[in-house]
Amino acid sequence: MVLGSVATLAFVLVFNFFLFRVVQTDPVGSLFRGRNIPQDVLDELRADFGLDQSLGAQFVLYVKETLQGNLGVSYQSRQPVWDEIARSVPPTVALVGASAILSAVIGTVAGIVAAWRRNTWKDHAITSGTMIFYSMPDFWLGMILLVGFAVVLPWFPVGGMTDIGSTATGLDRLLDQLHHMFLPALTLTLAYLGEYALIMRSSLLEVMGEDYLTVARAKGLRDKIVRRRHAVPNAILPVVTLTAINLGFVLSGAIAVEAVFSWPGLGKATADAIRGPDLPMLQGLFLLFSGAVIVFNLLADITYAWLDPRVEGA
Amino acid sequence: MSIARQRRVATAKRVWGHFRSSPQGMIGLMVLLVFVAMAVLAPVLADVRELNPVFARQSGNPQWASPSDFPFLGTDHIRRSVWVQFVWGSRVSLFVGLAATVLTILIGSVVGIVSGYLGKRTDRVMMRVTEWFLVIPFLPLAIVLASVLGRSVWIIIFVIGVTSWPSTARLVRAQVLTVKQRLFVDRARSLGAKGGHIIGHHILPNVSGLILANATLAVPISILTETTLAFLGLGDPSSASWGKTLEEAFVNGAIVRNAWWYFLPAGLGILAVVMAFTLIGRTLEEIANPRLSRNR
Amino acid sequence: MTEPMLSVRDLHITYRASTSPVPAVRGVSFDIPRGGSLGLAGESGCGKSTLANSLLRLLPQDAEVTGQIVLDGRDVLDLNPGGLRAVRWTAGAIVFQGALHALNPVQTVGRQISEPMLAHRTAASRHEADRRTTELLGRVGLTAARASDYPHQLSGGQRQRVLIAMALACDPHLLIADEPTTALDLMIQAQVLALLDDLKQERDLTLLFITHDLSVLAYACEDLALMYAGRIVETGPSWEVFENPTHPYTQGLSAAFPTIGDLGSRMAPSGLGGDPPTPGLLPAGCPFHPRCPLAIPECEDAEPALRPSGEGKEAACIRV
Repeated sequence: MVLGSVATLAFVLVFNFFLFRVVQTDPVGSLFRGRNIPQDVLDELRADFGLDQSLGAQFVLYVKETLQGNLGVSYQSRQPVWDEIARSVPPTVALVGASAILSAVIGTVAGIVAAWRRNTWKDHAITSGTMIFYSMPDFWLGMILLVGFAVVLPWFPVGGMTDIGSTATGLDRLLDQLHHMFLPALTLTLAYLGEYALIMRSSLLEVMGEDYLTVARAKGLRDKIVRRRHAVPNAILPVVTLTAINLGFVLSGAIAVEAVFSWPGLGKATADAIRGPDLPMLQGLFLLFSGAVIVFNLLADITYAWLDPRVEGA
Repeated sequence: MSIARQRRVATAKRVWGHFRSSPQGMIGLMVLLVFVAMAVLAPVLADVRELNPVFARQSGNPQWASPSDFPFLGTDHIRRSVWVQFVWGSRVSLFVGLAATVLTILIGSVVGIVSGYLGKRTDRVMMRVTEWFLVIPFLPLAIVLASVLGRSVWIIIFVIGVTSWPSTARLVRAQVLTVKQRLFVDRARSLGAKGGHIIGHHILPNVSGLILANATLAVPISILTETTLAFLGLGDPSSASWGKTLEEAFVNGAIVRNAWWYFLPAGLGILAVVMAFTLIGRTLEEIANPRLSRNR
Repeated sequence: MTEPMLSVRDLHITYRASTSPVPAVRGVSFDIPRGGSLGLAGESGCGKSTLANSLLRLLPQDAEVTGQIVLDGRDVLDLNPGGLRAVRWTAGAIVFQGALHALNPVQTVGRQISEPMLAHRTAASRHEADRRTTELLGRVGLTAARASDYPHQLSGGQRQRVLIAMALACDPHLLIADEPTTALDLMIQAQVLALLDDLKQERDLTLLFITHDLSVLAYACEDLALMYAGRIVETGPSWEVFENPTHPYTQGLSAAFPTIGDLGSRMAPSGLGGDPPTPGLLPAGCPFHPRCPLAIPECEDAEPALRPSGEGKEAACIRV
């Protein structure tokens, strides 16, 4: 399992390199586009970047530098890509992490209710409601919430993570950030809880048809206990896997939503980089996104093996 | 009509019969037909010249007019009618969604069938490639490809197709393996049937139902992906998809101006079409696999 | 007090399906005396499993149950939810068919046995429950180490023993064995039957044994009842019914199972032609008459009631 993931990561590196080499005919020129730099300085820079060497040598250089954390320099900000990315990680982790947890918990509970009360109005409401939210573009929902609760009803700010020019510190600052985070988090949570609800519901419905639930009831156990100790633990296995996998998508999960809310995270960095196009940034971001998914997929596999006694190699 | 052909006609009739009796399927179909009609009848419903900002200005349209001031859906920042954008946008969104799905299904099915049928080393290699694609986060990959390859409708279709095929491939391969297990493939082979014949006459008919259901459920993903890519600025500048409308609305401040008429219709259109395809797809899935409807 | 352990009177069970109701059990009555054993046999679809599940009210919501089920002096159908839960597993317990699906895959076998003890408070603490679980496992021929195993780690025969141990967890008076030996190979079948017999003697259990294999019942039970299309068509002391069946259906069934050691029975043509009727679409009159070698025109008129057919037996046939 681990070996497979490492191999995949290696593939990503190779892919990343070659893809961008296809486009970057002259990275140094792009970097200093519009500035008047003498030719010999440009040539020297090219030599520094190793651009005058063969493709193979360039690749080796690329791998070495990547492993050292040198991801190049952003076209737009002229700052090291690594720094830009590092700065954008915490806001995204906060926003998407919180939303992921909320949507997992709320969605799972909704799924349980929908399955246990199958075909009642609760089930229909939950199933249709979550499907509607899941079928719309997530950023569009964000736009609607913005108009509704930041423009028409000015309860929330229109964007950003903190009020501009604010000098608040400590708790005040945290509250301000949470205030800014509310709408984007609501958007993400609503958009993605459908997935959890649906999977939990169908998983639980399958489990409910199993004989061991009849046996549990025959033992004279209360309905709640049957649900909690026999039905849900069996039904929840796919949800756990889904959660673990989705955690891997935490970093890349909110690109458009962050753009709508101007939330200063990786998503917004990606959106900005697209407008350049700031290729070094895109390359670095892609590497990070892929890496995260690969790592969390591996964790998901390990978690599932640990939870389900039927899987070998637990 | 040959026996095989008769059977296929009978199957189609049976499927349609089941479909007709499913409320979710029929609602989905109705909604879809409405939008397809809108897309096809676009020239009749809305004057395409209105999409040109110069024409719009010359027509004396107001800027940022709300629907109460300007039928049917108001105007945008450069005086174009939102209704016209909505109607013509349906064409692009539907076209890209369908075309990208066709590409996805094509690649996915070919990989799935070849991999499942040939087995052994071919299978292992193809599955590794599939897994690799599955692990890479889909949207970043699409973004990277689109950024690198350019902004045209065809490139977007290509990008979506190339990033979405893995799940189809996995599904198709599993089904092919099931079919292969059934005796009649072995019997056909022992009768001297060649690979192509087996694939065409035995495997394909048993897999096509699954592919159809999967395709219908893959269209929403294609549409939503195109919308997101367009919103991020990777769409074709000359095409007016619903995603592009959303992008223009956002970038030009529709939110702060409370110009809800600019971005609400496009989003509703996407929502309706996506839900329509989802409902149809789920109905087809239930028909193909009646066991599913027990658990729904 | 010679009140029977289980007394079923005029039991009707109908599934309220969307198109038309399906009668699974149509007026069944029987008694099992304390310490006695009744074998209930019939082909699939005759209603025996439905009947078994109804005794502890384990049928799904859409099943309509009327009649009387008196278990250890209490009418099960009259109990409120709390009373029903109290009765389950303590007054009567079911040994289910030991397929992998009867046990919770993510819980150890030991936990599943001790769970009802703690729920009904027949064990004072977890420690005591574990001790008694070990005892039960030993009694059914499994080592204590098995308690920490998961169901998928056990063989079919071992799982069946676990289900027996589990059923005995709260010392029930009535043990309902629903197809406990089906899908086990012959040697294991014999072992399980012997175990059930021993346990019955030891704990003075009342046994209701359900299966489609008539020969198993003849060995394991004092009395026999045969079900067809939701009704009992023959009943009586098991050896009598097996040796001298009076209902044509029983005659067909017992001929269908070759007697081990008797080569002649294997050679002779036997068995029943045709299939059992679909519960919703019963033939007019006696439901067996289409397959019956002794059918006469009057069989179509009305469904016969059980009438004495000699030596303590009763059969629902007008030819008796």
